[in-house]
Amino acid sequence: MTTTPTQARPPAAGGRPRGGSRDSRPPGRSRDGQGRPGLSKRLLGRREARIALIFVLPAFLLFLAFRFGPAIAGVGLSFFDYDISGELDWEGLKNFERMFADPTFWQALGVTLAYSVLAVPISLALSVAMALGVRRAFRGSRFFRSVFFLPVITSLVLAGAIFKWIFSTDGPWSAIMAPLGLGGSWLNSTVLVIPALVVVGVWSRFGYGMLIVIAALQDVPREHEEAALMDGAGAWSRFRYIVLPHLKPTLFFLAVIETTASFQVFDLVYVMTQGGPAHASYSLVYMLYDQGFKYTDYGYAAAIGVALFVMTLVVALIQRRVLGRQK
Amino acid sequence: MTTATPRAERIPRTRSFRALEPTRGGLVLRYIWLSIAAVACFFPFYAMVVLSLKPGLAVQFPQSLLPWNLSTASYEQVLGGQNVLVWLGNTLIYALVSVVAVLLLSAMAGYAFAKKRFRGKETMFWSFLAMVMVPFHVTLIPTFIVLAKLGGVDTYWGLILPTLANAQAVFLMRQFIQGLPDELFEAARIDGAGEFRIFLTIVLPLCKPVLATLGIFIFLWHWNDFLWPLIMAKSSDMWTLTVGIASLQQQNVPLSVMLAGSVVALVPIFLAYSVAQRYVQEGVTSAGIKG
Repeated sequence: MTTTPTQARPPAAGGRPRGGSRDSRPPGRSRDGQGRPGLSKRLLGRREARIALIFVLPAFLLFLAFRFGPAIAGVGLSFFDYDISGELDWEGLKNFERMFADPTFWQALGVTLAYSVLAVPISLALSVAMALGVRRAFRGSRFFRSVFFLPVITSLVLAGAIFKWIFSTDGPWSAIMAPLGLGGSWLNSTVLVIPALVVVGVWSRFGYGMLIVIAALQDVPREHEEAALMDGAGAWSRFRYIVLPHLKPTLFFLAVIETTASFQVFDLVYVMTQGGPAHASYSLVYMLYDQGFKYTDYGYAAAIGVALFVMTLVVALIQRRVLGRQK
Repeated sequence: MTTATPRAERIPRTRSFRALEPTRGGLVLRYIWLSIAAVACFFPFYAMVVLSLKPGLAVQFPQSLLPWNLSTASYEQVLGGQNVLVWLGNTLIYALVSVVAVLLLSAMAGYAFAKKRFRGKETMFWSFLAMVMVPFHVTLIPTFIVLAKLGGVDTYWGLILPTLANAQAVFLMRQFIQGLPDELFEAARIDGAGEFRIFLTIVLPLCKPVLATLGIFIFLWHWNDFLWPLIMAKSSDMWTLTVGIASLQQQNVPLSVMLAGSVVALVPIFLAYSVAQRYVQEGVTSAGIKG
């Protein structure tokens, strides 16, 4: 009912006066009779532009106020000394000099990098393994997918309490690890606290990567795999030489996403360890939070934010480089 | 696992021969390792529920995980303490207002970016996109300072307003609306519909699938958001669930009460997920929305 008339109308519109009135309607009041279609078209364009601006402006103003402005202010602030007293003093590079001389900063950087170096590859490997497990529909495959995705939608803040118990001396993790000589509370060990956080971080993120990899696996040509199977290739070599090359761009994309996310690890640290023991899990964003909202040293906190930004940019540049080379 | 074996036999036979279908043994093996992974993945949720039902227990593993001698005392304590319900309300306001506002704003902007011509369009759009790269933490301190000066700390508007600037949402809406045929809008225009009516009666209804996907993700993000509400909500009656429950963990609250609070906070999100599961999984796979 509704589609037929709308389809019929556009061709008729040009010939009928009705269509003409449409063209000149908005500017018609001021330009009627002058008969300059170019001008009325331009006016129509101007009207369109005005309406378009009304549509864009709310989002754009919010964006200017809360993303663009603060981003520039955040970088700018790192050159100032600004604290709760409200005095803004130009510091030049002093915040950065202080940062590079601050052993706590290096500790936080080390913790953040160690966490990322462990969490990203493990998470990716698990994503691929689980995706391979559930890639083709079989009885229960949807159920497994949903179970693996459940942690992704679960806030780590809410899961923190149970994981604290799991990693406590009375918890199951200690009991499982005791035969390996790694019993006791991992969260109280300066060496094992990062691996413990990695376990929780991977638990909460691999399901996301799994879904992405499942989508990518659909593009692997079945014939290639079947041909390899006919040639007697085992499961591992089929994966290594047929599937993996197809997955490369996806895995690369995931690695970038996961790395930038793990650079920003905060919730996990906040609820599980508060940065302890002895700063052994003190991450960069945790330090930013401490400096900004505990010591209200806004300039220094902004400098840490800039350091994070630079780290993200480095990852993005590597991404562009590698993608460029692939093309 | 035992019921799976006859199935495995049946599938290859009813279909045409497929070399890659797993053998019977292969399928059993796969069920075994997937089940182990699923149990490991689900274990924290199970432990959370069981331990939350065991108040006042010296929690010894593994006896503590057996589902008997249960009591709902912790839940009574959590829900009777009023606070959790206040936090639940705050979280709902934070999430729902943001979902509605972001969807509306990003659909409007996305429509203009996709279908309209105006000066500065490219610049505007690319500045949106470039900001996706800037970590939230760079903007955190200045945003907080400005809002503190404007008196936005401890208010709903201060909490919500900055999170409405969502570049990813605008980008996704533009992508989707670009795929809609121009003729639809033209036809409505010829019928004399104004731009806002076109937007409300044509663009929005056509965008339903992408709005659903985006909406559930914005809901999830806000429900789970932590650092921003932690900074903006100072008094305990402005806290969201994540902030409130994190504060319980810092006090000397019994484990079972803490876990009862977590379960209460998780139930709505699991309900939302079970209803909108399809949209969530599609959002990740087709649009690559971050979880």
